Amino acid sequence: MTRLAESLRRGGIFVWFAGTSLAFCLAMILGLVGYIAARGLGFFWPSPLVQVRSAEGPVLGEITGHEPARGEETGKLQFRVGNRDIYGQDFRWVPTVGLGAPEEPKDAVLLERTEYGPFIGRITAISHQGTVAVQGAGALAEAARRLPESRRLLEEVQATEKGKVGELNRRMERLRIDRKGLEAKGDQAAIQALDTQVAALQSTYEALQTTIDQTRTEAKSWVLDLETADGQKKELPLSSVVRIVAANNLSVTDRLGIYLSRMWEFLADDPRESNTEGGIFPAIFGTVMMVLVMSVLVVPLGVVTALYLREYARQGWLVRAVRVAVNNLAGVPSIVFGVFGLGFFVYTLGGGIDRLFFADALPTPTYGTGGIIWASLTLALLTVPVVVVATEEALGAVARSQREASLAMGATKWQTLWNVVLPSAAPGILTGLILAIARGAGEVAPLMLTGVVKLAPSMPLDGTFPFFHFDRKFMHLGFHIYDVGFQSPNSEAAKPMVFMASLLLLAVVVVLNIFALNLRRKLRARLGGSTF
Amino acid sequence: MASSSNIQSRAKRVDKFMAFAISGGGLFMIGAVLAMLLFILKEAAPLFLPPSVRPAATLQAGAMGGLWLDESGKAAVLVSKETGVRAIRLPEGTPLPTPQGGPDLPWRTLTPPNTRGETLVTGADGRIWLARLTWTKPPGENDPSRWDLNPQWQGGILLEAAPNRILHARLLEGGGLGSSARLRLVAEVADGISWLEAPLEAGPAVAWKPLPLPPGNKVSSALWSADGATLTLGTEAGQLLMVEVESGNLLASAEFGEPVNALGAPLGQSSVLVGGTKGRLAAYQRARLGEDFQFRSFHEFPRLSGPVLGFQSSLRDKRFLAWSAREAVVDHLTTERRLMAVSLTGAGSASMAPRGDLILHADELGALHSWTLDAPHPEVSFGLLWGKTQYEGYGKPEYVWQSTGGTDDFEPKFSLVPLVFGTLKGTLYAMLFAFPLAVLGALYTSQFATPGLRNVIKPAVEIMAALPSVVLGFLAGLVMAPMLERTAVEVLLYPFCLLLAVAIAAPFWSRLSTPFRNRFGTGRETLWIVPILILAVGMTMFAGPLVERLFMGGNYRTWLQSALGITYDQRNSIVVGFAMGFAVIPIIFTISEDALSSVPRSLTSASLACGASPWQTAWRVVLPTASPGIFSATMVGLGRAIGETMIVLMATGNTPVMDWGPFNGMRTLSANIAVEIPEAPLHGTLYRVLFLAAFLLFLFTFVLNTVAELVRQHLRRRYESI
Repeated sequence: MTRLAESLRRGGIFVWFAGTSLAFCLAMILGLVGYIAARGLGFFWPSPLVQVRSAEGPVLGEITGHEPARGEETGKLQFRVGNRDIYGQDFRWVPTVGLGAPEEPKDAVLLERTEYGPFIGRITAISHQGTVAVQGAGALAEAARRLPESRRLLEEVQATEKGKVGELNRRMERLRIDRKGLEAKGDQAAIQALDTQVAALQSTYEALQTTIDQTRTEAKSWVLDLETADGQKKELPLSSVVRIVAANNLSVTDRLGIYLSRMWEFLADDPRESNTEGGIFPAIFGTVMMVLVMSVLVVPLGVVTALYLREYARQGWLVRAVRVAVNNLAGVPSIVFGVFGLGFFVYTLGGGIDRLFFADALPTPTYGTGGIIWASLTLALLTVPVVVVATEEALGAVARSQREASLAMGATKWQTLWNVVLPSAAPGILTGLILAIARGAGEVAPLMLTGVVKLAPSMPLDGTFPFFHFDRKFMHLGFHIYDVGFQSPNSEAAKPMVFMASLLLLAVVVVLNIFALNLRRKLRARLGGSTF
Repeated sequence: MASSSNIQSRAKRVDKFMAFAISGGGLFMIGAVLAMLLFILKEAAPLFLPPSVRPAATLQAGAMGGLWLDESGKAAVLVSKETGVRAIRLPEGTPLPTPQGGPDLPWRTLTPPNTRGETLVTGADGRIWLARLTWTKPPGENDPSRWDLNPQWQGGILLEAAPNRILHARLLEGGGLGSSARLRLVAEVADGISWLEAPLEAGPAVAWKPLPLPPGNKVSSALWSADGATLTLGTEAGQLLMVEVESGNLLASAEFGEPVNALGAPLGQSSVLVGGTKGRLAAYQRARLGEDFQFRSFHEFPRLSGPVLGFQSSLRDKRFLAWSAREAVVDHLTTERRLMAVSLTGAGSASMAPRGDLILHADELGALHSWTLDAPHPEVSFGLLWGKTQYEGYGKPEYVWQSTGGTDDFEPKFSLVPLVFGTLKGTLYAMLFAFPLAVLGALYTSQFATPGLRNVIKPAVEIMAALPSVVLGFLAGLVMAPMLERTAVEVLLYPFCLLLAVAIAAPFWSRLSTPFRNRFGTGRETLWIVPILILAVGMTMFAGPLVERLFMGGNYRTWLQSALGITYDQRNSIVVGFAMGFAVIPIIFTISEDALSSVPRSLTSASLACGASPWQTAWRVVLPTASPGIFSATMVGLGRAIGETMIVLMATGNTPVMDWGPFNGMRTLSANIAVEIPEAPLHGTLYRVLFLAAFLLFLFTFVLNTVAELVRQHLRRRYESI
């Protein structure tokens, strides 16, 4: 007994206790990252289509979930049956009791479509302009052969719509605003000239529209006859099909090919089906753009403030208080910055700019509503403390001997700073910048108030003058996660997107952080320094 | 070639310029930070500014029986029994074109128009007419002389017997399917109080229906309810009676204390304003308290000097005008704030514009006085934000946050207490989960772990710190919450199973040879625990369903409901605590670990040299020495937990409940701001209240972080001296 009491007093067991809490923390981190990676990366791998005979008839689909028997409830299997236009819902729970043996029919196919989610069933025939071209087993192969051409035609249509027609619309809008201004002045001749311009644009638009219609009809000329597992029939133009996956007939290389192609689509394409399918390229692009603008704003501001605090201000209690204040700004909740951004940048500054320069477009706001410039400014304000702290550390680490040597040789203070101190401090400043970027890429709350949207009609950077549109709203990876996960009409179908987007965001933020912290560690090891 | 003195002077000029630029830039940044705080304060401050009252025009307009103000404040309609309806322009007082039509003059009775412009008239022929005064304004026309006053006259109701005094009328709009508008009247007739209902058209004579009342009650004023089914009567004996007219049942009665002189209704008409002959002003309502309904006073206002003559209510919010012969006041029903108090020249009639920003009073001699009232946020006061407030329809004062509703007469309720409560609750659960894990983990890492292990742990925790809170919130809301709902019993059992697993494994560990334990065990305990953790998970998966079946009847949710009366919400505080723990643990860990590692080696060596075990040293020497650092870490972690927005937004149900229980959600200040501010009307009350909330968050986290920083600096200086 005394041995137990003695060992308790010596506390060996408590060390294990403390070790358990640490193990728990580590398990949390690994579990989270591992879970997101597993669920995210696994979604694009094509899984086999399983057919079972249930009480309500045959069910064909991918198995996406499983719940074991519990209490009085029987076990259930979740099937992704697709065909939202026929069944009304993508997913279905089927009780495991009384299910026949599962089969994997070789001719079952999953068609990724532009509307209503995927189709899961069989292709019975393919027809061209009304007449059946191939029927039965060969229809699948024929469809796969014709698919690239119809996709190309559709992409052509989309490019024309976005490019040429979009340009026409922009010019018409510009003319409409000009006309409004001229009407106020009552200049009849100018108004008539404007009207002729509008008429010319209108006829160009009509000509373009005819071409578009022709191309579209051509793309729609190939039609598939489809049949679901329980015998319902449907016709689908080949142009609505994005990808054909004969899920039970694939070799490993085929599956890998589909996996990589889906991954590429995710990273490079636009979203469809209210963000639950397709890609997240606009979100990635918007995040990158915003972070770039934020960096351009935050580095000068942060470096100048740090220089002032350390080199130019008279060191006393006031400067120490200011330094403490700037550091503590890093702890202020990001929503407060968002509120300030909304109240000051968007409503006050933006409203003022609108009244001065864009009064013709009112009451539609140009700068008086959220936009990429205001969002970047808000985030710059948010991340300035990070850069200031890192820069101050870096400036403090530069050896006094270097500075004194430079001054002794007759250089002015500014020459010393610019030529000796700042280049030595540059890696430290870079660390601060990377940490700021990592923080800015992950913050969502202030962006929700200052310019991020669920679906942006156009990107902030495009081919029309002035090329970088500061007033446009943009999409953001973090907000995409929030929106698709919580505000989409079909959150079960959207989960793959959210996991992949989370994985992407996580990967970016973690990589940036590791890089910055490694850099900082190397600098500390190299320089030592009084501030570290 | 430039001479050296030229180069030198140029360098000096650049130096001076850059010194100026950098100082300017630095001061600008610091100023920007300060400006941010001031801007937020400036946007929130107008909530607390006192209302301003400015006397406006004084005119002479001749005797009149009632007034009605137009919304723009540019025209007023005067009605009198002798001259009918006429209009004047404000503030000049010049007459505007008189409308034609209406019953023959002189009218026998006239009720003063209410804020909507409805007035009841008995024409010279004894028929009852209802006039709805409206201005037809050509679009964009601001000059009243171009507006058209066309009162819509409806009625021509013939009464069987002329009443002594019509007390109150209620217009019931026709429903669909061809039912027309009807009018309900209550009046004092020869032998008591009677009422009638008549369609608003000329038809056969309508008879009075007597209203049976308890004897000894002489009714001095009456008020119809909004649906015309109930009457509130005020008696000269100082009683208020609520009567259902169709059946004659007395629904409720209350004591007023002094003879009732005037009755009125605020916007929404779900409560009654009562004014007495000695000047007492109160609001009564019939609301549910517990099981039954109670009819009692729920707001009191400062007395008027002299008997209360009448009420007019604003159509925009719950402010109302009350006047006596000597003074007129505008009060807000819910906050009981007196927005305006002015003295009058004599008894007469008064009116308030529909927005409540212009008050007009006409005394018996026909002198018209007007005042403008600027009170943009009457529904907010310090007491309403922080104390329990009695709202209409509630049985007792409560803390309520309900900023928007579906109807026009919805009263927004802005108590910050549920939100602050939610913030504290979320922070509490987060710290409850995070603090022990982080501090114990930091203690282990700094005191017991091998350097190799430390090099793995610290980057791992730094990665944890870098996790975006969106991802944490998404996992909490869409993955952890359903998982917890399915496996709540298992999660609760886990600590016990872990202890059991440790107890099972411990004898095996002590069987291993001491050199093995010293080489691979000491400093790496954390790695050896991992298989124990997994073993415990397996044990809970087995034991969980068993326990649920044996003790909870197969379903823990029904057991919670029946045995403890708790409803289980899927998105509850346990989930939030766990997810916020992810966000807070790395912060507390990093700072605590710094503090623990900075304890001078001499102290630890001395303790070990005196024969203490490593744990005793850590627990009794290092931890207390570093406790200011741990305190500072907790402050910073608290600050982070208070301000966390995305996790709370996604992992709670965002319901502003005030309940410490772990099985329901919460609404925090930060999540509330994120949800409501995009839709808040610019410069409205909700907008400013949200800015106030942001200011509070800013102040609180700033103070916390400053305290933490000061403690840390003090600690650093103390160690330098050891």
